[in-house]
Amino acid sequence: MATTTHDERMKGQGAGGPSGDTKRQGSRSLGDVSVNTAAHFVLIVWSVIVVVPFVWALLASVKTTDEIFTEPWSLPGEAQWSNFESAWNWEDGFGQYLLNTIIVVSGGVVLTMLLGSMVAYVLARYTFPGNRVVFYLFAAGMMFPVFLAIVPLFFVVDRLGMLSTYHGLILVYVAYSLPFTVFFMHAFFRTLPTSVAEAALIDGASHSGVFFRVMMPMAKPGLLSIGIFNVLGQWNQFVLPQFLSPDRPMLAQAIASLLSNQRYRADWGTVFGFLTLAMIPVIVVYLIFYRQIQSGLTSGTLK
Amino acid sequence: MQHGKYRFIAGFLAVPLGLYSVFVIWPFLQTFFYSFTNWTGLSPEFEYVGFQNFELLWDDTVFRHALRNNIVLLIGLPVLTVFIALLFAFLLNVGGSGAGVRSIRGHGSYKLAFFLPQVLSVPVIALVWLAIFRSTPDGLANSALGAFGLGPYGWLADPAMALYCLLWVLIWGSVGFYLVLFNAAISSVPRDLFEAAFIDGAGRASTFFRVTMPLLWDTIQTSWVYLAILALDGYALVLIMTIGPGNPDSSTQVMALQIAQAGFENGKAGYASAMGVVMFLLTLVVAATLLRLTRRERIEY
Amino acid sequence: MNAPRPMPRRIFLRRAGLSALAVSGTVPLLANCASGGDEGDDEVSGGGEEQTEENPFGVSPSDPLSVVIFNGGYGEEYAKFHESIYQEEFPDATINHQAITDIRQKMQPKFASSEPPDVLDNAGAEQMPISTLADNGQLTDLTQLWEADALGFEGMTVQDTLHPIAIEAAEYAGKPYVMNYALQVYGIWYDQMLFDEKGWQPAQTWSEFQDLCETIKSAGIAPMAHQGKYPYYIQQVLMDMAVKHGGPEVVYAIDSLADGAWQHDSIRMAAEALLWIKDNGYMLEGTEGLDHIQSQTEWNKGEAAFIPSGSWLENEQAAVVAEVNPDFKTTVAPTPLLDGAVLPFESTRVEAAEAFIVPADAANQVGGLEYVRIMLSKDGARKFTELTSAPTVVNGAADGLDASPGLASSLALIESGGDDNWNYYYTIWYSPMRPKIETVVGELAAGRITADEFCDRCQDIADQTAADPTTQQRTRT
Repeated sequence: MATTTHDERMKGQGAGGPSGDTKRQGSRSLGDVSVNTAAHFVLIVWSVIVVVPFVWALLASVKTTDEIFTEPWSLPGEAQWSNFESAWNWEDGFGQYLLNTIIVVSGGVVLTMLLGSMVAYVLARYTFPGNRVVFYLFAAGMMFPVFLAIVPLFFVVDRLGMLSTYHGLILVYVAYSLPFTVFFMHAFFRTLPTSVAEAALIDGASHSGVFFRVMMPMAKPGLLSIGIFNVLGQWNQFVLPQFLSPDRPMLAQAIASLLSNQRYRADWGTVFGFLTLAMIPVIVVYLIFYRQIQSGLTSGTLK
Repeated sequence: MQHGKYRFIAGFLAVPLGLYSVFVIWPFLQTFFYSFTNWTGLSPEFEYVGFQNFELLWDDTVFRHALRNNIVLLIGLPVLTVFIALLFAFLLNVGGSGAGVRSIRGHGSYKLAFFLPQVLSVPVIALVWLAIFRSTPDGLANSALGAFGLGPYGWLADPAMALYCLLWVLIWGSVGFYLVLFNAAISSVPRDLFEAAFIDGAGRASTFFRVTMPLLWDTIQTSWVYLAILALDGYALVLIMTIGPGNPDSSTQVMALQIAQAGFENGKAGYASAMGVVMFLLTLVVAATLLRLTRRERIEY
Repeated sequence: MNAPRPMPRRIFLRRAGLSALAVSGTVPLLANCASGGDEGDDEVSGGGEEQTEENPFGVSPSDPLSVVIFNGGYGEEYAKFHESIYQEEFPDATINHQAITDIRQKMQPKFASSEPPDVLDNAGAEQMPISTLADNGQLTDLTQLWEADALGFEGMTVQDTLHPIAIEAAEYAGKPYVMNYALQVYGIWYDQMLFDEKGWQPAQTWSEFQDLCETIKSAGIAPMAHQGKYPYYIQQVLMDMAVKHGGPEVVYAIDSLADGAWQHDSIRMAAEALLWIKDNGYMLEGTEGLDHIQSQTEWNKGEAAFIPSGSWLENEQAAVVAEVNPDFKTTVAPTPLLDGAVLPFESTRVEAAEAFIVPADAANQVGGLEYVRIMLSKDGARKFTELTSAPTVVNGAADGLDASPGLASSLALIESGGDDNWNYYYTIWYSPMRPKIETVVGELAAGRITADEFCDRCQDIADQTAADPTTQQRTRT
């Protein structure tokens, strides 16, 4: 399947090259049409590759276990709506998992964005001794797998009395999301023009005033991108809560437990019911962010 | 003024650095320390064993397989994902018909669709592709190819294919996010630049390579680093999808799986820590090389 | 075997002690060397009541008891029954029952923070490394439980009622630390209904098996399927044929990490036998990529005649059988004998599994011991078999029970094999070896390596394990 799209891609590009280079006068519209068709073709192929598995997962949530495995590509004989019921009531209940996750992720993301931007801004815009050291300290954090630190981390959190607490998990999420957020926002702040900030400083604004009132609004597109990234990352975070919040489980932990159960008692209908329920909040968040990205970016380009 | 600046810098850095030190740096430093012990991870007892763990690691053939596979992913995942995502972003923004530079029709719906894999959690992605790659002749991929007289293939059961199946699934799951990222970046490039390139007679392809790529360089570089990190993990996917897991014939072993097996299944946390240290040093070298190679002048517009 | 190198005193002492691992409950020689003094306190927590005949460990009646059950193939119902007996005995005790499948993820933090449950059923794919826990002194010595009166068996101690394999499997450094509850019988499983209908018989010798494969294949059925995603299953066939051919010394050498253990002729012959099945197209096509549920479902549907597994299989597939083939009669057969085999056909690998432990750090250790004694009572064990169709390690507890076809054939095999039934321990003693050997087995079963390559690669893994100074080497004779 990989090779198919690869070929498709090459085709799309090949059609674009010569038509633009050699016959740009007169025949452009004809070239344009073929480019446009090829572009649509490539994009549609990819859409199908992406949408089919998604639909498959949705359909599986109303099938029986046997149907999922023996007839994976057919419609359910009879829609098993009870899958959602058993998923909703699984162990602590979907609602409880969802609440735990929403509290931790919203707290975690807001704090990550704030603290991450602060660090990134200072590192990107101010020269001071140790700037590089701090930057590389954060960058290094991206290169170490989380689960390796998990046992020492467990004892740290335990000693602080923060096991299975919302605030404990939020602080840990923030700490582990900082490296990439800093790295990303650092690059972003460096692309922003310096003139506006300089003008504001000359006008007598304070450093933090410039950051909050001038730079943050300018950085909105970057903040949105990294924001989605953090929401998804923290939403799907599995290793950290598994160890640090055993008594207050997040959605990802519930999914892991549910999957682990399948080795012994196959009830895949409930699994896909649960996974479908778990998708909904992510879709909602994406739709909200998606609109904001569009408006944020168009207002940026119109200027 | 200078005094105020330093106070501001210190004020902004204090809290994040504090959090980061307590929850990230300190545990990782302990990991470095544990790599020189025979700690089991199950009790507080351990003894100092010098470089023993690293000597053992040197002879560990499975770990070497894992290292090699991670390197394949490390190269394949960023190159292909960035390329595909960039291409799609470009097609979406300037692939429209008509004179000049236009977004393609249906721009919004494509983007919405392409983002879907991000909505699916890793277990769903793994399970769906597992069903597609089923090794019996009635699997989806096999029955589809069977219609053309090809196969049946072993997919994940074939040591020559298994890693590339994983690579494909990783790419499939990543393109959407980077597309959105690049799309945001392309949209913030003033349209006049594309128009100017067209008027200068550049074709779409050369516009892509000469105008788009350099302007997005910072974003690409960031994506590259993140995809490299993703390539170094791959734990959940390997665990759910592959035979063994990590098989056939260690062809899908990855370092994360090795570390998890040593550290948690086998009670060899000291050894697992040594693997982590090696992984860290390796990543450091790769990242430093990448950053140096890809360093370019900043482009302002 | 190890190059002499300085090693910490404690490890040295431990290793010296471990070489004396006793088989079948004989008196260990060097037992005391192993617990070099710092293996945790010998004091047992909880209790404090007077030790009486009814209450041999002195359980304090109001102390709470926490029980964590592995909610796998055997479910959790049997544990609720045991808890109800405990509750009758100590009406004031609060019992905290938890049934989970991901033991390691949920329990490792508890162990790390010294808050483990009083009884833990450490089983399943995500179990904790039990030999490490035992070596670390994190488990309660079960000697006093072994010596206590057995419930429901007049005049016998608990130890007297246990199957020898359970006693063997319990011991680390000469002391019992683990109560493995279920007796698991391995073999190749088939549908008695199908075989009766076709007039087939499980083969006793290798040449009979070769003929049978041809007959089955010509009937349009694949002679053998296996759970290719987990090579552990097909490995059972290989090991059983090898041990039955060469005798128990074959497996003692493997468990002792002896030189050339995997290059034994019996292993090579068994590997060649497995290759023969694959190379002649007698394996279900694509079975190498199927997981246990997928392959076992194919087998239930009659796509394949034999599948390797253990005695949990009937219970595991019950729902599938009801859906796809209600007449299915799950039955176990021993593997066929290779030419020159020294063990009888009717013997097989029998494993004591479902490792129940009482953590050393548990708040109510004596309550834990009493709970395990209840599990091993005649009623407790009988109820387990009744609910799960699986035999326990308690001798005679299932006598006279109405047995399902699978259970009846498992019990018959335990009986017929007797002292010739055998077991291996290297996967528990040297847990890092397990996945590495399975990788090589997977290659063999897919027909990608020769029998010689198989033996050599396995031997390399064993040699590396032996050379690893962190390995706690143990010996069996």
